[in-house]
Amino acid sequence: MGKIVIEPLSRLEGHGKVTITLDEDGKPKDVKLHITALRGFEQFVIGRPAEEVPRIVPRICGICQTAHHLASVKAIDSAWGVEIPEVAKKLRELMLVGNMIHSHALHFYFLAAPDFVLGVDADPAIRNVVGVIDKAPEVAKQAIALRKFGQSIVEAVGGKAIHPVTGIPGGQSKPLTEEERDALLKEVDQMIEYGKNGVELIKQINEKFMDQIKTLGVIDTYYLGLVKDGKHNFYDDTLRFLSPDGKEKVEFKPEEYLDYIGEYVVPYNYVKHPYYKKVGYPEGVYRVGPLAMLNVCDEMETPLAEEYRKEFLEIFGFPANQSLAYHHARLIELLSACERAKTLLEDNSITSDDIKTDVEPKAGNGVGVVYAPRGVLIHNYETDDNGIVIKANMIVATTHNVPTMEKAIQQAAQEIFK
Amino acid sequence: MIQLCGCSGCHISLLDLHEKLLEVLPNLEIVYGPIVADPKEIPEGIDVFLVEGGIRNEHDEHLIHEIREKSKIVIAWGTCAAYGGIPGLGNLYKKEELLNYVYSTDSTENKGEIPSEEIPPLEEYVKPIKDFIKVDYTIPGCPPTPKMIADAIIALLNGEEPKLPTKIVCDECSRKKENVFPETFKRTYEGKPDPERCLFEQGYTCLGFATRAGCGAKCPSAGVPCRGCFGKTDRSLDLGANAANVLANAGEASLKIPDKVALLNRFTLPDALINRKAK
Repeated sequence: MGKIVIEPLSRLEGHGKVTITLDEDGKPKDVKLHITALRGFEQFVIGRPAEEVPRIVPRICGICQTAHHLASVKAIDSAWGVEIPEVAKKLRELMLVGNMIHSHALHFYFLAAPDFVLGVDADPAIRNVVGVIDKAPEVAKQAIALRKFGQSIVEAVGGKAIHPVTGIPGGQSKPLTEEERDALLKEVDQMIEYGKNGVELIKQINEKFMDQIKTLGVIDTYYLGLVKDGKHNFYDDTLRFLSPDGKEKVEFKPEEYLDYIGEYVVPYNYVKHPYYKKVGYPEGVYRVGPLAMLNVCDEMETPLAEEYRKEFLEIFGFPANQSLAYHHARLIELLSACERAKTLLEDNSITSDDIKTDVEPKAGNGVGVVYAPRGVLIHNYETDDNGIVIKANMIVATTHNVPTMEKAIQQAAQEIFK
Repeated sequence: MIQLCGCSGCHISLLDLHEKLLEVLPNLEIVYGPIVADPKEIPEGIDVFLVEGGIRNEHDEHLIHEIREKSKIVIAWGTCAAYGGIPGLGNLYKKEELLNYVYSTDSTENKGEIPSEEIPPLEEYVKPIKDFIKVDYTIPGCPPTPKMIADAIIALLNGEEPKLPTKIVCDECSRKKENVFPETFKRTYEGKPDPERCLFEQGYTCLGFATRAGCGAKCPSAGVPCRGCFGKTDRSLDLGANAANVLANAGEASLKIPDKVALLNRFTLPDALINRKAK
């Protein structure tokens, strides 16, 4: 009996390792994914004034910091019973799609694409973003432009491209100026074009790798996503579970999440394993993120992305259950985020300075949910009379996916060692 | 480069050089960097190692010694590596308290079971990397700006020492100062600050006066007070103590500021003179 340990897992932002225990015949007997870091944000936001927490929690993730900032401030608005001005909501949504554009471009072009552009058998020393710049400079140029556009949106709306600061209870601390809006608007059509190129590129890549896509990491799971009136939505407002066979859809509001989502502590992982409570653990493990979002929604909210979603389901079936189809789904969302950015930037009210309403801290319990680039993100805080946080719970996007990532790696290992 | 107890924001800030990456990257050979590249072993004979993140668990501690042995120059890259950063707020709690809380939240099914297999045990407290090894240079910031990172890399490529700004955030802030001291302090949700005037003088607990420059005063420019993410200046021993000293001039009013420990040491608690909660 032997053991294979893969550590560190590379080209991802967290800390992880995989252990594969082999039986006498060298076949994988037990495959585990371990997340090997813990910082304890849920503990150390306790005792902090709630308005400071959106400035602390972005450090959960330097890639999707904006999503943490916004889920956090939404949770506090909800705990204190605040309805923020419409323009502030639009600014926050714009900030979020800016982060989505940067992160989806990073995730695909910088972290995943080296495998496809340079090949999975390429020398590990060159199989990275520098290799992509070398081998496919035009692709790299568009990837860099998309990331820059996304980060510019977050910097203009959020004050800082990484770890933004403008979300405060009651609204936003800074309006978007007309000059900032005009500069972004000038770029947006080009970005939509690049977004379309991205989807066309993944379609070409998929044709080459279709054997692997249809055999490795193919698993049946539940799916969890965010929809508004049934449509794909980055910012609001209803959570929806889809059953593995695609027949059952269950909707609930963010504040009801504890009735639907549980977390199971496993001995070999700092991250807990979330599951759909009505089904139980481990049968109720589910996937979040682009693949889940495309499965869960009835349609995309923007027109070009909707055309591509229909085509996606024709290629992969419904619900699409191939883990390697995540890339294709992610690029459709990247295009949708660019389209959504255009709609928001063209909204005349976006530069209004009616962005903040008066607030009073009070004792309360609030849940804030947004769709972060890797999936549904939940922040939940309870505050005392002075607005100091006394209880906190967070279920981070990748956390939802950890048990199903493990399941997908198990399936892939069995397939590869067959 | 590597991320220890950090968030990868410093790595992303490097990528935020955007098209300038095309000029900078070809001059470098990335021999190790799990976030962007695949090599699993840290090779010998590294010229410059950029370390993001502080030390939170035994694996971080093991790695920082290995990094030091195999590198000519080690850089504390960002505020977590340099001063502990936001995860350092964990030092307000004992390790057991932190673990017990995280594994007993409302959504946890089997509350109180604590994972311990195949994962590195936590250290008692978060510490900056200089508590374990000799650090050659520091690039502070949460995260450092892309320009600061590029300037440091270019300086090293030219065989020069990277330089840090010596001024404070107020020197970079365009808000107007009238040299008045606030009589009372406000929390950030209170009122709508005048967009032209100094936030501190309006009563917001801005820490720009105690914080190293380099960010371009981004937070006050966006209407929110500085929280000290670039750490102390060369002339100061302790950011929190320095800031407390200034705020104390307000007398009674300063006593009413909530959560003073985590406000004044938001990013630097593990490096503070008093670096954890005294019981």
